[in-house]
Amino acid sequence: MKRRVAELHPFTVICLAVLTVSVATAASRWWLSCAVIALCLAIGAFAGKARELAALSGAIMLPTLLSLLMIHGLASRDSSPVIAAWGPISLTRGGVEIAMALALRTAVLVVAGLLCGLLIDKHQLVAAIDLSPAPPQAGYLLASTLFLLPQMMEKQHAIGQAQALRKAGTSRGLAGWLQRLRLRAVPLVLSSVQDAHDRSVHLAARGFPARGEHSRLRHVADSQIQRGVRWVALLCSVLVPVAILVPLGGAS
Amino acid sequence: MDMDHRAPAGTTAALHLRLGSFRYSEAHAETLGEIELEFSPGSLTVIAGDSGSGKSTLGGVLAGMLPRPGADQCQGTVTLAGQRIDYSPEHWPRIDVAGWARHVGLLPQDAGLYLSGIRQTVAEELVFARENEGMPREEMAGLIDELSTRLSLEHLLERDPAKLSGGQERLVALAALSAAKPSIIVLDEPLAGLDSRATQAVTSMITKLRAEGTALVVLSRTAEAWEAEADFLWNLAEGTLQRATAGAATTALLSKPKRPSVPAASAKPLLGFSRVQLGYKGASAPVISNLDLEVRAGECVGLAGANGTGKTTLLKAAAGLIKPTAGKVRVVGDAGMLLQNPSDQLFERTVAREVAFGLPKKSIKRDRVPLVLAQLGLESSAQTHPYELPASARRLVALATVLVREPQLLLLDEPTEALDSAGLYYLHGAIDSVLERGGAVLFSSHDERFMSSTAHRVHQLQGSD
Amino acid sequence: MSPNLLLPEASATQLLRRRVLGAAGTLLLVGTYLFLVITQPAGIVEGLGQGVALATFAAYLIAAVLLLLAVLPDLPVSALTLIPVALALNIILGQFVGSVMVPLYLDSIGTVLVGFLAGRRAGAATGVLSTLIWSLFAPTVLPFAAGAALVGFLAGTAARYGALRRPYLAPIAGLVSGVLVGVVSSPVAAFVYGGTSGVGTGAVVAAFRSMGDSLLSAVTKQALISDPGDKAIVFLIAALLVFALPKRLSGSFDFIRRYKVLGKSGNK
Repeated sequence: MKRRVAELHPFTVICLAVLTVSVATAASRWWLSCAVIALCLAIGAFAGKARELAALSGAIMLPTLLSLLMIHGLASRDSSPVIAAWGPISLTRGGVEIAMALALRTAVLVVAGLLCGLLIDKHQLVAAIDLSPAPPQAGYLLASTLFLLPQMMEKQHAIGQAQALRKAGTSRGLAGWLQRLRLRAVPLVLSSVQDAHDRSVHLAARGFPARGEHSRLRHVADSQIQRGVRWVALLCSVLVPVAILVPLGGAS
Repeated sequence: MDMDHRAPAGTTAALHLRLGSFRYSEAHAETLGEIELEFSPGSLTVIAGDSGSGKSTLGGVLAGMLPRPGADQCQGTVTLAGQRIDYSPEHWPRIDVAGWARHVGLLPQDAGLYLSGIRQTVAEELVFARENEGMPREEMAGLIDELSTRLSLEHLLERDPAKLSGGQERLVALAALSAAKPSIIVLDEPLAGLDSRATQAVTSMITKLRAEGTALVVLSRTAEAWEAEADFLWNLAEGTLQRATAGAATTALLSKPKRPSVPAASAKPLLGFSRVQLGYKGASAPVISNLDLEVRAGECVGLAGANGTGKTTLLKAAAGLIKPTAGKVRVVGDAGMLLQNPSDQLFERTVAREVAFGLPKKSIKRDRVPLVLAQLGLESSAQTHPYELPASARRLVALATVLVREPQLLLLDEPTEALDSAGLYYLHGAIDSVLERGGAVLFSSHDERFMSSTAHRVHQLQGSD
Repeated sequence: MSPNLLLPEASATQLLRRRVLGAAGTLLLVGTYLFLVITQPAGIVEGLGQGVALATFAAYLIAAVLLLLAVLPDLPVSALTLIPVALALNIILGQFVGSVMVPLYLDSIGTVLVGFLAGRRAGAATGVLSTLIWSLFAPTVLPFAAGAALVGFLAGTAARYGALRRPYLAPIAGLVSGVLVGVVSSPVAAFVYGGTSGVGTGAVVAAFRSMGDSLLSAVTKQALISDPGDKAIVFLIAALLVFALPKRLSGSFDFIRRYKVLGKSGNK
């Protein structure tokens, strides 16, 4: 299964995710949303990423759920029965239902989106973008950021070591924190901006950005079937919600 | 427009440069003056000059990367592949750097700047420029095969470009440069910072390229390594070129003949490693095992070993940045360490503020700042931004930040890196002053001559590879 | 076989395409915003609520992508190498601050930095890209791409008209930008997600709602409390970082030279 997933074109994965999220959001049935989330977790398990998926989703959804409960559960003005009350603040059932429905809707987006991010190989995604009609700058910017981030974090660590050697940044309190921020940020920005400037001229000398046709040595596996699936998925992700919601809109 | 002039009849030169002057946009003085250069196929031209003499600027002009339009002021003419480009202080021709790179390639001092940073394998990196030209996949595959066989790179093809060593980066960048088959390749300090194995690999690639008819221009701090093979040898000083005579350069380096005095055997040890093991979390094997090393007051010890044998790790452990996984490290007094990459810590707007950073105001140490700056020849740069200084001076600024605290134990990681002959002179002086004070010095270097003229003894580190 | 050492001039079709895409993106964004504010669709989970959520999400995201496509082809290479640095800075500096439990995001320092150094188009592109890449780790940020583009755009505009010539002007420009961005992004929070994603901000919105505000106005008021302050600080930090750069480096950016962003001959 892992290998099968790896052979999927990155855009196919994204299109299927878009379809799933838009249909589940339009249908707005709690059992459908839960089924979708379970399916995503199952796919994640097959691909060996279940734990990361669950952890990252939880980290995003927990504060969101709390926030929604506060906004809708506590402050709702409808007349549904009160579940609990603390002085002037009361938790209403109608409000909690709304909050849960919204949280479920967001959860579908989060889990499906994170699954995409975990399943897609970054190098393949960049190559797919390069080989598509998108401007060549797009693939470069995505790739450069993804590979620069760990490098800059390492550089930050090295800067921290260098500052520790100078016994800098040891004072306490707000002033000390501000100074530590400055000690970390300024050398990092100075050297990174200088680096970016020095790089740019060599990048230009290597013909980037390509003005006309451009190609990639890397091959991204694709097939007619997948292309068809992508188009159908995108089309359905617009048509199905419309089909679901228009009758509703007519009725209300 | 003025670009259809043909090159003067009869020259076989691929590039002819006639420069009047070059000045950077914010500079007070001109970096380059009158220079005239010509390169014929298969020749090796070496241009030697101190740090800050304008070598990289000249390299940039040859590669069409300087002057930056709208910023720098340049007066001169370049005739390349039969086309003539005129520069004047008010008129900047819109150069197509990619088109120029098909004729003149430039390998920067830091080869990592040339690599794209976005490709997973060296093979893809080699054809990055061809991808931007739209070359079909099969052709690119053929090009990679041909290139890797010709330049002996097969063992690197599947490696991650981000994880290459300095020497390997240079090989890959040079190969990628040569893939466009330019008639001239300019190399900015191609052998700087390499150990002997990497130096050999880079030199042999350079020889192969030259044998194929590419004109090579090497910009270097010293001409010595190239004297035997160079067709033309120049010295760049004060913005102009002078013919250099072989053998003249050597005397300047050893202007401070050093016969280190051996410290008394009874001097107390300032640094002791006993049966120390050093490693990083998650690594399969420790970098250093079972290390015994002692450094006494007044002693200067050098660490030798190929790249990757743990010299930097050892120094960091002595500085207290890394705790040993086994054994004990004893340090008496303050340790001050100069890291390999000086830019990792610079953040103030002027040299004086950088050196004075962290010292309490109105303390004795702060009064020492001008003295330390004078000791390292930096008095005139006290109000300059460290990033605007040449690499050699920047290294000395970093050294000044360490010296101003008067450490008992001075730790130096590759101190000769980026230093020119003047810088080396000041470095020797700084080391002497620490030893005279009763302190000790421990340094790592792959520069054998510096090692033999500075260290009392050498500790060899054996690596696992 | 002429060697092609000189660049060709930019063609008219390229300029036209840039204008059309930019206009389309802006119209879509403004149109969606006005529609939402004027019609104020009430039900968020029943009836058309889902439709509004999907449509708002799609419209804001597509508008941002159109703006990106309009801007991307004409960026100079020096901006293209700077943008990944800025994107990484957004994350690294944002994390450093986030670790201290301050009620600020400070996650757009890089975007504003690019706006100051390379102009408003590069700033807008940085904002969109920052959101797109961040969405790989947190998909919910996608519709906020338009707001992020606006931050970069306003930063570049502020720099162009002299906000960096005096140190106190930068935070004021940030304050104004924060107001605009807060207002533009509020409908996303209200109609796509029905609220905010943080506990602190959620509490503020809940407080406003219990005082009788509709969801949209409660979210907008909360945004007007936190965004201007946040952006003022971000603009100030980015300005200080630009001032810390050496003359030769900041002067190498065409934008800085052309609009004298750092003052005459940039003496600071």
